[in-house]
Amino acid sequence: MMRLARSILILAAGGAVLAPLCALGHGAEFLSAKLTLLPDAEVLLEVTADYGSNPLIMDEAAALDALADPVRLREHDNLVPLSALSPAKTSQHQNWADYAPAAYLPSSTEGEAHALMTSAWRWHSTEPEIVFEMPKGKLHDVLLWTHDATHPEAPPKWMLLLAGDRSRPIPIQQTPWWRSWMAAAGAGGLILLSAYFVSRNFTLRQRTL
Amino acid sequence: MSNRILSLLSVMALASTAAAEVAYEFVPNFITPPTGKETIGDGHGEIAVDSAGNIYVSVQDKDPALGGLQVYGKDGKFIKTLPLPPSLHGFVIRKLADGEHIYAAVLGEQKVLKCKLDGSVVMEIPTSAFPAEQRDFVSVTKTDETDPKKRIGIASGVRIADFKTELTVKLADGTEKKIAKEKGVSAAGGLKLTNCDVAPNGDIYVVDGYGRSFIFVFSADGKFKSVFGGPDKPLALANAHKIFIDTRFEPARVMICDRGHKRMLHTDLAGNFIGEIATEMRNPSSASFHGDLMCVAEIAGNVSVWDKANKRVADLGTSPQPTNTPGIAPKDWQQGIVTSPHGITFDNDGNILETEWNKWGRVLRWNVKK
Repeated sequence: MMRLARSILILAAGGAVLAPLCALGHGAEFLSAKLTLLPDAEVLLEVTADYGSNPLIMDEAAALDALADPVRLREHDNLVPLSALSPAKTSQHQNWADYAPAAYLPSSTEGEAHALMTSAWRWHSTEPEIVFEMPKGKLHDVLLWTHDATHPEAPPKWMLLLAGDRSRPIPIQQTPWWRSWMAAAGAGGLILLSAYFVSRNFTLRQRTL
Repeated sequence: MSNRILSLLSVMALASTAAAEVAYEFVPNFITPPTGKETIGDGHGEIAVDSAGNIYVSVQDKDPALGGLQVYGKDGKFIKTLPLPPSLHGFVIRKLADGEHIYAAVLGEQKVLKCKLDGSVVMEIPTSAFPAEQRDFVSVTKTDETDPKKRIGIASGVRIADFKTELTVKLADGTEKKIAKEKGVSAAGGLKLTNCDVAPNGDIYVVDGYGRSFIFVFSADGKFKSVFGGPDKPLALANAHKIFIDTRFEPARVMICDRGHKRMLHTDLAGNFIGEIATEMRNPSSASFHGDLMCVAEIAGNVSVWDKANKRVADLGTSPQPTNTPGIAPKDWQQGIVTSPHGITFDNDGNILETEWNKWGRVLRWNVKK
């Protein structure tokens, strides 16, 4: 009953303005999933695991495991692994600043070591909205937060997904209708301009001859 | 027809009785912090009540006026801070044949303390008393020469020798591996003790909750007896955050908050699996017992109350959205809504006190309705 209520609340909340977060003292126990919505329906999901001082992710191998299938994309009745959308690009670093909300950065009250591993997936969405879901039985909670590249000043929104949770539908950045018209008009203009210069050049050459 | 009505009335009566047994009301602004302080200080610990009703809260604040074990009266007013280490991540107060004592796991120093209620230490279980197989388990890594940001795993095992230029690790298959301490090589691991409790016979149970979730048993005089749990089967624990001796049962059981798996489970005192109490929780972090009831602090934003039949009978302070952060500032606190519950206790009258994982420090209270 409580789970159902929580799921409803997650969906109803639609993500909250980011409260200060700082999962320290024992590493970030959940994965930080930074969702960047790019123009032209492009989606970038960067999932970061902290394997420094983390009782749930003890070492590099465990971090790789955690990032292998951290969350899935719901497409109708199917849960699609991220690996089916694009190959992952994985890197190791110690740069929380680019992969977690500002308020999630290490606190001065903690002296714990952090070691980060990020896997990134990039794909074009065929759907106007995307929904992420955590299959039941997943060990690692996922802090899903959105970074809108077209509105970088907007405060990030976040939700903590536990196993079995589903995110709200997240609208992606579709190409605006006028952009394709503008592109066609621009291309047409270029062709006309090229034709003009070619013909002018041809005329000048004839005159010279 | 009349039978149906009678049955319905019986069910209603039972339901109202059950509800009456587990109804609570929130008490706003219960705790009065030390004079001159807005809040109690950086909280990442536990809360407990002694037989006189005084309330003890561990605070890890760097401010020496706050850091340590704070003591409050029954009325929530600050009395004093005991000069104990600030990293008492988990502790209990238990009254046995030898009197009433505080038993505490010191996360920052990987040891266990037994103290009188005035804070004077009567016994210490040092790191060296723990078995080497768990205490000295390390993962050795090396900086990748082609990419200094990357680290490459070299070996995981028990550190059996550690010299200036060489480290020897005993691997799982029993072989030994010597690793030269070149530039960029480092070893991490060891114990990360998060809580302890005491069985009726005086045995002390200690959990390595931020380490590999092993549970160690020591005799009353601090001699190592046995170990169970850990990341492998049969228990396969992950971040066994705190353990408690569940004296609601005879014989007593070990109650494990297997936080990584979002479940609570029972074992017998020898570590044999009895059963799961609950699954799919909001990451259980701590618990306390009173009569047949158990209250649980769930760090992702809930306080729950359970009966002896493992039935959830109340939820208190539920956060609308799952949390798990120490960073929610006082300006964002809402009366009666938890942020990230980390420690919890019943007082002697069955009221619930909860302390949070919170950089400013927060204690909430619910009174039982009688």
